[in-house]
Amino acid sequence: MRSAITLDSLMPFFGVVVLILAGSVFFPQVLSAGYLTQQLQIAAFLGLLATGATIVILLGHIDLSVPWVLTGAAILSTALVGTGNPVLSAIAVPAALAFGALIGVINAMGVAILRIPSMVWTLAVNSMLLGLAVLNTGGFNPKGQSSPLMVAMASGDILGLPISFLVWIAISLILGYVLTRTPFGRYLRSIGFNEKATFLSGVSTPSVLFVAFAIAGMCSALGGVMLAGYANQAYQSMGDPFLLPTIAAVVIGGTSILGGRGGLFGTIGGALFITLLTSILSVMQIDDAWRNIIFGVIILAMLLFQTLRKGAVA
Amino acid sequence: MTDIRPPLLEMKNISKHFGATKALDGVDFACRAGEVHAVLGENGAGKSTLMKLIAGVLQPTHGQLRVDGQDVALNTPQDALRHGLVCMFQELSLVPDLTVRENLLLGAPGAGLGWLRGTGLSDAQDVLNRIGGDQIKMGARVADLTLPQRQQVEIAKAIMKKPRLLILDEATSALSASVVDRVFELVREARDGGTAVLFISHRFHEVEALADRVSVFRNGQRVETFLKGAHDYGEIIDMMVGQKIEELFPQKPAGLSNAEVVLDVRSFSWEDRVKDVSLSVRRGQIVGLGGLDGQGQGAFLMGLFGLLRKADGTTAIAGQTSDITSPKVAKHQDIALAYVPEDRKTEGLILDQSIQENLELAALGRTDLDAGDAALYSGSLDQLALKHGGLDLPVSSLSGGNQQKVVLAKWLALKPRCLLLADPTRGIDVKTKTQIYAILRQLADQGTAILLLSTDYEELIQLCDETHVFFDGAIVASLKGAELTPQNIIAATLNVATNEAARHA
Repeated sequence: MRSAITLDSLMPFFGVVVLILAGSVFFPQVLSAGYLTQQLQIAAFLGLLATGATIVILLGHIDLSVPWVLTGAAILSTALVGTGNPVLSAIAVPAALAFGALIGVINAMGVAILRIPSMVWTLAVNSMLLGLAVLNTGGFNPKGQSSPLMVAMASGDILGLPISFLVWIAISLILGYVLTRTPFGRYLRSIGFNEKATFLSGVSTPSVLFVAFAIAGMCSALGGVMLAGYANQAYQSMGDPFLLPTIAAVVIGGTSILGGRGGLFGTIGGALFITLLTSILSVMQIDDAWRNIIFGVIILAMLLFQTLRKGAVA
Repeated sequence: MTDIRPPLLEMKNISKHFGATKALDGVDFACRAGEVHAVLGENGAGKSTLMKLIAGVLQPTHGQLRVDGQDVALNTPQDALRHGLVCMFQELSLVPDLTVRENLLLGAPGAGLGWLRGTGLSDAQDVLNRIGGDQIKMGARVADLTLPQRQQVEIAKAIMKKPRLLILDEATSALSASVVDRVFELVREARDGGTAVLFISHRFHEVEALADRVSVFRNGQRVETFLKGAHDYGEIIDMMVGQKIEELFPQKPAGLSNAEVVLDVRSFSWEDRVKDVSLSVRRGQIVGLGGLDGQGQGAFLMGLFGLLRKADGTTAIAGQTSDITSPKVAKHQDIALAYVPEDRKTEGLILDQSIQENLELAALGRTDLDAGDAALYSGSLDQLALKHGGLDLPVSSLSGGNQQKVVLAKWLALKPRCLLLADPTRGIDVKTKTQIYAILRQLADQGTAILLLSTDYEELIQLCDETHVFFDGAIVASLKGAELTPQNIIAATLNVATNEAARHA
């Protein structure tokens, strides 16, 4: 039947190999195990966000509330740990995940029930979360700290592999199974292609939207918790630089921005590719302006290549 | 008929191949000014490819096109337009988010990058008025129009280009009989003014009414061209399918009036669109819903399937009153309703997904069925003789008739107690229609109650045991047995009381 691994989804992995080989020409240390495992650790943050974004994009929607769900989850979890109360510290991570799911449900309400385009609704939710965070902290960096669990998830390792990477891959595997082997996954893609026909086939499309947005919210929240663990604190706007790379990782991974087509395997490649590209460009110590331009050009080139290849097949 | 001028359009030894498929294979074809030339053939016979070549959408693999005896190359639709060749395609080509006015002006001569010129608009409005589209507002968004209204706009758009050759490819498939008559009047007028008309339709009575000459296509080749009347209905069907079809419609069974009632609807109302409709379908019955477009019959079917909010009335399935609030509830095994929607491309199927995935979509939500079990579908697929190159190919690779078979098979897998069908044979070739009629009758014999909305009154007469005709949201006539005649149905659709006996109490 349908294979999860398509040529489109393999593309970013080829890109990763090319980046590593080209980078090693200038900087031999790119090939060192230390550098590569560090990239896996950092890629996991973007990867978790992109995992959630993939699910929403497969639906044919988009979630622009990623930055402040991430920040909100980070603030919430560090604040709970910062109270010093052992019970509150213990529930920091679950509470942050519940917060992400709650925002996901609010996102889905606007999209599934009020029928407002997700691009507008989730952007508004993002903006309201920003406001709430500022009200809550008075605009200063929130007080608080990370729990040992959060630090371990972000920076620990098992058998030389970063735990963050393992968490990301485990979640990708679970969700990948859900996407390819369960009715929910089938409904998700069907809605992405044609919501009306799916509804007329007797599928409760609103429930699918609710579950999908909730999963995406939890992925963003987990990303926030782990980033807070990585930095040992939460700070305002910590999620802002992640929005566009998240969407770019999904699209480079071969998932159609129009919905229906794609999967999580490609997203793993997309997140690795973007993380590595960012890292190598900064190692090269190029001027910030040029770095942004090169970043944009390479991403455009990847997408153009995919489009042209499809044009040749059709 | 001995015209010494060269034909307006001539095609010499035309072939069109798509990979290994020969959509057209060495076809000679000519169309003269001032004639209506009907092109008949099953789906996949090559009619649409032929039309697309003439419209400049496709280019032939081999062969030559001539206009007025001159060799021409039609590389783009603009080239075709320059020669006065205008096509109205069966797939509607309007931009949904633009208004009627904007759509009419799109591609109008002289528009280009300059100012939009509204000079043709009054003509278009005249055309719309003449074909019963006077209630279509120029400022309305096309997406808000009904399917028949969109077809009327398409027709106006084609005619305002003042074509020398007008192609009508299933142009009237969604229109009701009275509107079709008005369109035909307009087409005849254009013909008498010297326009050549190429007419594709699956409805024989339309061909009978309009055509001067008929060409029959089969498997990418032209079988024969003859003057209308040279061959009768049966002979033409034989030519099209290449084999004898004894009966288009299956035999109706007798004595169903005492069978148990499967679907019983009482006082169904919705806003102002459906008014106090009551009807019942007995085991083994096929009950037809007729009427002009938009008289509430479509909304009624949707309402039964739980698609309308705030609908009043009671629906009982097999004696059990059920509150059907969504398609998910409707398909549950305790109710087991199935609905084949009007537009298979946007409502019935997910074109980008495979045949297999489309087949499974309805069964997936049923806890008592294993959607992955091929046996659920194989029976109906075999019976409907689905032609496909593999179930994992996208459903968009199938012809229209075969796509509709997939929609049917997807719902038949759920073994529905009651099957609701919204014009399931629209734009489908004769052979597929026959297969669909046969399976519907067989399902009815096995105890499925069938409610069939149709715009083709032959179906309402030949296939249905009883037909309810809608007008302005209410049933104005319920006809059965000997009352089922074209005259009675037409009279009822127009709500004129020619036959008091047939009036609903």
